[in-house]
Amino acid sequence: MMQVLEELFNYREMIFSLVRRDLRGRYKGSVLGFLWTFINPLLQLAVYTVVFSFIMRAGIEKFYLFLFVALVPWLFFGTCLSGGASCIWAQQDMVKKIYFPREVLPLSFTISQFINMLLSFLVIFVVLVFSGVGINLVALLYLPLIMFIEFILALGTVFIVSALTVYFRDFEYILGIIQMAWMYLTPVLYSMDLIPEEYRSIFKLNPMTPIIIAYRDILYYKQIPHLETLLQASILGIIVLIIGFYIFGKLKRNFAEEL
Amino acid sequence: MQSDNVIEVKDLKKKFKVYYDKGNSLKEKILFKSRNKYEERWVLNGISFNVKKGEAIGLIGHNGCGKSTTLKLLNRIIYPTSGEIKMKGRVSSLIELGAGFHPDMSGRENIYINASIFGLTKKEIDERIDDIIEFSELEEFMDNPVRTYSSGMYMRLAFAVAINVDADILLIDEILAVGDANFQAKCFNKLREIKGKGVTIVIVSHSLGQVEQICDRTIWIDKGLIREEGQPRKVHPLYMDYMSDTTLNSHQKKEEEEEKTTESEEVQNENVVEENSPRDIGNFDIKITDVQLIDVKTRKPATKFHIEDQMELQVCYMRKNKNIKKCEFGFHIFRSDGLDYYGTNTLIDKVNSVELKDTGKISVVFGAIYLLQGEYKIDIAFHNDLGLTYNHRYNAVEFEIKNYYDEVGIARVTHEWIFNEKEK
Repeated sequence: MMQVLEELFNYREMIFSLVRRDLRGRYKGSVLGFLWTFINPLLQLAVYTVVFSFIMRAGIEKFYLFLFVALVPWLFFGTCLSGGASCIWAQQDMVKKIYFPREVLPLSFTISQFINMLLSFLVIFVVLVFSGVGINLVALLYLPLIMFIEFILALGTVFIVSALTVYFRDFEYILGIIQMAWMYLTPVLYSMDLIPEEYRSIFKLNPMTPIIIAYRDILYYKQIPHLETLLQASILGIIVLIIGFYIFGKLKRNFAEEL
Repeated sequence: MQSDNVIEVKDLKKKFKVYYDKGNSLKEKILFKSRNKYEERWVLNGISFNVKKGEAIGLIGHNGCGKSTTLKLLNRIIYPTSGEIKMKGRVSSLIELGAGFHPDMSGRENIYINASIFGLTKKEIDERIDDIIEFSELEEFMDNPVRTYSSGMYMRLAFAVAINVDADILLIDEILAVGDANFQAKCFNKLREIKGKGVTIVIVSHSLGQVEQICDRTIWIDKGLIREEGQPRKVHPLYMDYMSDTTLNSHQKKEEEEEKTTESEEVQNENVVEENSPRDIGNFDIKITDVQLIDVKTRKPATKFHIEDQMELQVCYMRKNKNIKKCEFGFHIFRSDGLDYYGTNTLIDKVNSVELKDTGKISVVFGAIYLLQGEYKIDIAFHNDLGLTYNHRYNAVEFEIKNYYDEVGIARVTHEWIFNEKEK
C-alpha cells in the first residue's frame, strides 16, 4: 500500500502530463476549442430551463437551478462510472509494453474529469449570481470538502470498473444502463421528500445520495449541510475507495496478459 | 542479493494460457463455454542468471524461445508463474518507443509526456530537455505538432527521449533499427557511452552483430531454457551452427541422408574440439582451404610480429558451386580475450567483389599493424552481397604481437610530436 503511494508520488509528472494531454487534447481541432468546456453546461442549462419552466412545471421554485447544481456533480460521477471503465483498455499499448504504476491511469482520468467539473462550477456561480439566488459564503466553505469526498468516491469507482472491464469487455456497456438507473435512484431530478418514508433508509445506502444533498444544501438552499450527511458521504466514499484500491491491486498483475 | 549483482533471476518459470478462440464478452463467456478452452503453454521452464553492475548481456534465440518474455518479466509488465527476480535501481526500457505521444501536440510537449511515462519528474525532464532535443536533431521542428513529422523523425524523437532517461538498468528489445545509418551509429555510440557510465544493459536481438558490438555476455535461450551462456564470440558460432543445422534438416533432408554417416561424424568431432580452434559454418559453395599469415619483409609464413612489421593475410579457396561468379570477402580481428578490434569486408570498403576461379587465393596486405602486445585471432568469411554465408571460419588464424615499447591501450594511434613551434 505505502509502496504504491510512494511510487505514485514518483510518477506524479506522468499523472500531470496525462491530465494535461487529456484536457488540451479533448477539444483540439474544434473551432471553439476549450470554450466548449463552458458552452456545454450552459447549453444544457438552457435546455432544462426551457423544459422545466415552460413545459413541465415541477412546482419547485427555480427548478432549473435546483436541477443544475445537482446535475453537474452527478455528470462528473456518471462519466467516471461509464467512461472510466475503458481507461485501462484504451491505453493497452502502453500497459502491454511499459512499466508504470497502473494506478496512474484511473487516477489521471478521474482528475481530468474533476477539473472539468470545476470549470463547469464557474458557470454555476455565474448563473447563481445572475439569477438572484446569490451565494452564502459560509456555506460555500463546505463546498471543497464535499467535492473532495465526491472525488474519493469517483476514484474508487473508476478503480473498480476499469479493472473489471479489462477482464469483461461487456461491462463497459452494462455500465451505461447502470449509470442511467443510478441517476434515477439518486435525488438529482427530485428532492428526498418525494421518496416514501419506508424506502429512505435504502436510499441512504447509495453513496451519491448524501453527496447530492450536500451540494444542493450549499448552493441551492444556501445552508450548511448537516453533519450527518457529510459523515455518511465520507464513510461511504472511503469504503468504496478502499474496496476499489484492493480490487485494482489484485487484478492489475494480469492486465498485460488479458489485454 | 550479492552486492555486485544488479539483476538476479532465480528459476524463472512462466506459463501462458493460450485460448483457442477467446470470448472476451460476457455473452460469449456464458453461451460458448466450449470456446473458452485453453491450452497452457510453458514459455519459460526455469532460467536463472545474474547480471553484474555495468555488464551488458544479450539474449538470443529463435522466435518464440522465450527471450522477449524474459525481458517483459524483467520489466515487470507481466509477472512470473514461479521463480524470483530481484533488481536494484531504476529500470528503463527501450521496448515501446513514443508511448503516449499525442499527434496534435508539439514535439516539445510530447517530450514531457513521454519522459514522464518513464517516471521522470518535471525537474529531471527540464535538465535533460536540451540533450534530448539535440540528440533528436529536430531543433527546428520542436514546436510543430508531431503529426507533421515523418515516421523517421517520430522515431528519432522517441528514441532520443528513451535513451536520455538515466536508468541503472536499461532493457532493449530489437530497436536499433531506428532512422538512417548515421542516426543508428549515433545510437550505438550513445549506448556505449551509457554502458561506460556503469549502466547495466539487457538486449534482446536477432542481430548477432549488434550483440557482439555491445554485450560482454550472451545468453542463448532455447525452448524456455538457457542453452548456452558466455562470451558472445563463443556462443554465437554454436548458435549459428544450430540454426543452420535446423534449416538444413528441413530443406535438404534427402541430400543429407546420403552423406549422413560421414557428416555426422564430422559434426560431432567439431563439437568436441576446443573453443579456440577454427570452426566453419556456411553452405560451403565456396570453401576455405588454407589460411596463413606472411611477414611481408621476409615473405615467409609467421605467427609472431613486431608492432611495426607488415603483415599479409593469405586465404586459399575452392569453388564448389560453379554458378557463383562473384562474392564478397571479409575479415575481423579480435584480441584473444574477445575484444573486438577491427573488421571490414569488400562491401564496406567499396572495392570490387572477388572474381572467383575454381581455386584461388586472396591476399589482404596490412600496413604497419599497430596493435599493441597481445594475442590476436582473425575470423574470415566468404559471403554474397545479401549476407548469405558461403564459408565463415571463426578463429581462422592466430598471431602474436611483440612490442618493445611501453605504450598502453589496444592499438597505436599514429601521431607526431611538435614542440614550441613558433606561431606565424
